[in-house]
Amino acid sequence: MNTPGIAKLLQERVFTLSLTLVILVGVCSLIWPDTFLTFSNLSTLLLNISTDSVVVIGMMILLISGTFDLSVGSVYALSGGLAAYLAYNYGMFTPVAILVGLGVAVLIGFINGLLITKVGINPLIQTLATLGIVRGIFDLMGKVATLPEGFDALGTSRLMGIQTPFWVMISLVIIFSILVSRHVFFRRYYYIGGNEKAARLSGIPVNRLKVWGFMLSAFLAGVAGILFVSRMGAVPDTLGKGLELKIITAAILGGASLLGGQGKITGAFLGVIFIHLISNILVFARVSGQWTDIIFGIILVLAISLDIFLKKNAEIRLTESLRNIYQQPKP
Amino acid sequence: MAAARLLLSAISKVFPGVKALDAVSFDLLPAEIHALCGENGAGKSTLMNILSGNLQPDEGEIFLHGEKVVLANPLSAQNQGISIVHQEKSLVGNLSIAENIFTENYPVKTGGFIDFPELYSRTQKLLQTLNITSLDPRTKVESLSSTRQQIVEIAKALAKNPKILILDEPTAAMTADETETLFRILRELRQKGTSVIYISHRLTEIFEIADRLTVLRDGKYQGTFPVADMTIKSIIRLMVGRDLEEQTYTSQQQKNILLSIKNLCGHKFHNITFELRAGEILALAGLVGAGRSEVARAIMGIDPAEKGEIWVQGKKVIIRNPPDAIRYGIGYVPENRKEQGIFPEMTLADNIAVTSLSSLARKGFIQNNQVFSPVQKLVEKLQIKTPSIQQKMINLSGGNQQKALLGRWLMLDPSVLIVDEPTQGVDVGAKAEIYQLLRALAAKGTAILLISSELPEVLALSDRVLVLYNGTLTGELSREEATESEILHYASGLARHSP
Repeated sequence: MNTPGIAKLLQERVFTLSLTLVILVGVCSLIWPDTFLTFSNLSTLLLNISTDSVVVIGMMILLISGTFDLSVGSVYALSGGLAAYLAYNYGMFTPVAILVGLGVAVLIGFINGLLITKVGINPLIQTLATLGIVRGIFDLMGKVATLPEGFDALGTSRLMGIQTPFWVMISLVIIFSILVSRHVFFRRYYYIGGNEKAARLSGIPVNRLKVWGFMLSAFLAGVAGILFVSRMGAVPDTLGKGLELKIITAAILGGASLLGGQGKITGAFLGVIFIHLISNILVFARVSGQWTDIIFGIILVLAISLDIFLKKNAEIRLTESLRNIYQQPKP
Repeated sequence: MAAARLLLSAISKVFPGVKALDAVSFDLLPAEIHALCGENGAGKSTLMNILSGNLQPDEGEIFLHGEKVVLANPLSAQNQGISIVHQEKSLVGNLSIAENIFTENYPVKTGGFIDFPELYSRTQKLLQTLNITSLDPRTKVESLSSTRQQIVEIAKALAKNPKILILDEPTAAMTADETETLFRILRELRQKGTSVIYISHRLTEIFEIADRLTVLRDGKYQGTFPVADMTIKSIIRLMVGRDLEEQTYTSQQQKNILLSIKNLCGHKFHNITFELRAGEILALAGLVGAGRSEVARAIMGIDPAEKGEIWVQGKKVIIRNPPDAIRYGIGYVPENRKEQGIFPEMTLADNIAVTSLSSLARKGFIQNNQVFSPVQKLVEKLQIKTPSIQQKMINLSGGNQQKALLGRWLMLDPSVLIVDEPTQGVDVGAKAEIYQLLRALAAKGTAILLISSELPEVLALSDRVLVLYNGTLTGELSREEATESEILHYASGLARHSP
């Protein structure tokens, strides 16, 4: 009876990922005892994780509902860039500039959602187009070399020795993992991903929820973009480039399925940690940066293959146990 | 008696912990139609999977034309002349009929290029042998009705020139007319010497088409009989192992009108007017494509009507989407369970709770135990067979899935329940239970609108029958007036009989 229990646990992505992370950290602290498990390395790692973790929350919710958003990287850039630009070039009061940046993000999400649900454009096409358009607008916009006083406080101020983005991330991850697993509003996304037609016939307002999903995803990308700009104190040209790949990879590693209906916020969060931990290890191991993407790709394929393998085994066992039940002699 | 074309001798198949087939024997004569009966889980699919090379038997032998054979894989079964038409559609929608039929053996020219003229002419010839000349081989499969698709499936199986053709539930989605067409094809095949193994839950069909039948129950062989010696009752007794309770009918119809439809017009129906009373079971009969489901979808707000009025309990209402309909107390169990009904990868509990999430939640937050106790009660009441309510829906049998879909609406206790093909692909035992359930609901005062292509079902359940033809109501029959031929008469668009 023990084996099915373990097999079931091995199917739980939050468990397997946590286990892998613990092993990775353990091994690394043995290899680099003086440098790896230090406050400075860990706090840099956490800071890098923070912004991506905010973005992955929205992506996970979309993936649960069976769709995704490729434009997060561009929205991230435009939101952060626009807020900085307004504050720097027009001397706009920082909170107002930030609100404008977030407002634009939400508007982009709304347009994505509307065109996908009402016009019926495939989400891949729609968000790919948005990725291009929004990136173009960001490129057209003048860049900012230094941020006005106060703007950078958001990314660099500290609480208990750790910078603000970390606290933003922790609170958002906790809030959303509770909401997504327990709240009726978010529970409906699992139904949409499970079978969209059935969800609609069961009275779930599928289109409205999808639009909200795209708005939320864009909003969170905007929040992350602003946090990142404020932390760096500048708006680099490559801001947010390729982010969608990293985020989707993290979410898939964290247990999402492109078919929808599956995944947890904690899983996505662990996925981001995993990806950044690997980058961190590659730096420690003096592997050249060009290798990073290759290694991510291989990890993704390996993780998915393992997943399929475990599922197949579990399914065979399940059908057998079910047969036992159905084949009992009838009274 | 002629020598058997196919002989299965004492086949056993054990899955760990259970004997799916226990020394089952089966013989098939040349040019006969042999029905295979049994409830879901009786071992029919395992046996067919062994015959089509998908599974290997643990014990027992297979003889083809008196010679022992091993069907190592699907290809070797095909090469030995065994073709199977599975219940699940295997066609690719955006390819043509011809391309679907010859998927595995395109005629090619030198260099591997597809010889399209040859492909189309071969397909044409094949369709001609099936006596179907109205289909153009170039037509895309997705533009065909589901019956036509089924015929293409059969043509695909026949393209391999099988000696033995296995059909698994071919008429599940067919109307009486379409079934007739299929039967004509099968009879012609029999005449040409093909042997057919026919699996169906519709027992009446077996009497119409089969020569002999074999019954399985719980993996055990119950016997093979000439159909002429059997009755529906005796078959059911063999399948279930007991007599099913006789279903008695008493009308539960009350006075008050719960739903009233006035001059409803939509894309595929016109001027639909009817009233539905508390406790009444009203059947909407007609051929597939007559607009029955479309009327239901309009009432439910999925594809809202273009014109006309819907009144609920004496008040005129506007229904724009399913949440509106649910607010007015209307529930809908759609046809095509797999596609529109179930959330396959979610648990049984999730599947039942979907309609009542907000009412089960406290301040918007929902915890498993709040869902579990009402769901558990319902699962017991509906006698859904499952090891636990946290079982994935996909792992339940069709009958249990269908009961769960009904349960989804029972959670809300709707005043009007629309059920569309409620027993499609469900075995006889579960079917009887679903009938009882619908009757019990009516007795409680729920108004039920039943859409069904199975005339015996319509006759058994309904207080009143409305017949649709081509989107218009052509007849209304009371329970006393309704007979199969009367319904078919209106369903084919013929005018009212002159008295």
